[in-house]
Amino acid sequence: MITTINALVDMGLLVVLSVSALMLVRCNSPLNTIILNALYSFTICSLFVIMDAVDVAFTEAAVGAGISTVLFLCVIHPDDESGRLFVWPGPLATVVALATGLLLVFGTFDMPLYGDPQVPVHTHLVTRFLEDSGTEIGIPNVVTSVLASYRGYDTLGEVVVVFTAGTSVLILLAAGHARQDSGDGLISNSILRVVMPRIIPLVILFALYVQFHGDYGPGGGFQAGVILGAGLITLALLTDSRIMQGVISERWIIRGMAGGVLVYGLVGVASMLGGGKYLDYSVLAQSSTDGQHLGILLIEIGVGITVAFTMLSLFVSFNRSGQTGD
Amino acid sequence: MMAEWLYLPVFVLLLCAMACSLVRSGLGPTVFDRIVAINAFGTKTVLLIAVYVQASGHPEYVDIALLYALINYVGSLALVRYFGARRVRGHD
Repeated sequence: MITTINALVDMGLLVVLSVSALMLVRCNSPLNTIILNALYSFTICSLFVIMDAVDVAFTEAAVGAGISTVLFLCVIHPDDESGRLFVWPGPLATVVALATGLLLVFGTFDMPLYGDPQVPVHTHLVTRFLEDSGTEIGIPNVVTSVLASYRGYDTLGEVVVVFTAGTSVLILLAAGHARQDSGDGLISNSILRVVMPRIIPLVILFALYVQFHGDYGPGGGFQAGVILGAGLITLALLTDSRIMQGVISERWIIRGMAGGVLVYGLVGVASMLGGGKYLDYSVLAQSSTDGQHLGILLIEIGVGITVAFTMLSLFVSFNRSGQTGD
Repeated sequence: MMAEWLYLPVFVLLLCAMACSLVRSGLGPTVFDRIVAINAFGTKTVLLIAVYVQASGHPEYVDIALLYALINYVGSLALVRYFGARRVRGHD
């Protein structure tokens, strides 16, 4: 029964996904594109849940609902709204696009079937991770074990990539002038004034839960960072930039971005000082699994800090540069 | 434990509601129809995930639905602010 339901929901969502993708192609205004993009994100997140990729679904939920819509809305301008109408491509372009699409579909025939247990990726490393991570790392969520410990170098690289992206945006958009706020902001709306101060603490609490519960359930530093960033961005959306400067100044945002990478790197140095290899957490405490727990906790905090402040920095930069056109 | 067959109509109805929101968000006609449609679609996603994790026997994954329920409003707030800015500029 559950398999039938599974297949039905899967097919239904895939239809919704395809239709929304087609609508996105035909879309003629930036605002509608952003709205359809959010819809696509909701659908793909549900599909990730059905495929049991809950950590990926968590990331998609946090980024899709919390960040991407806000950032997109910062960079479009109301004047763009009556954009160009959709025009059909010329015959040559159509033929080339169709041929490429058919070749890609042809290529998928060589790919293993979904969930095939004989695929090399399922027969070599995954079995080892699934069987041994319980005794070697000692935490229930294998995704976190792989991400933070077995593949600690890759994750360090990812954090540096996030940091670099944030820095690049800062360099490119540094010339923007501070935006002129109308003064009262959205907080003058009485519903928002009553509801929002009660919701933002809950969002931050949930971010902390995701941060420290990542060893046991879906989530971890990346997701927690995005959620925390979304909470702070809500505050920035409600008030003006002057109040936001009082809550957290831009100087501290930049320091936070770098600070998370520093925490991650220093954990590696600490494990070297303890006599192990770089990012080998086993030496950080008396027993090997305790060391792994401590190391994963610390590097996840580093990841969370960098991601949260990078999200905030992106919002501040985009918001500022979006206002220079007039 | 709830009878398993009851999940089927729940999913069918939820998918129908999602399809309706999808149609409305594509056709419009005004941008406010689309905003309400995407909000409704988000709510249906929360419900779909919440029911699905229960049906598949992993109720602890309801965290994802909780996350959507908690931060879904951020996009709507940004939209409201966008239209607020537009009205100030005299486009509306």
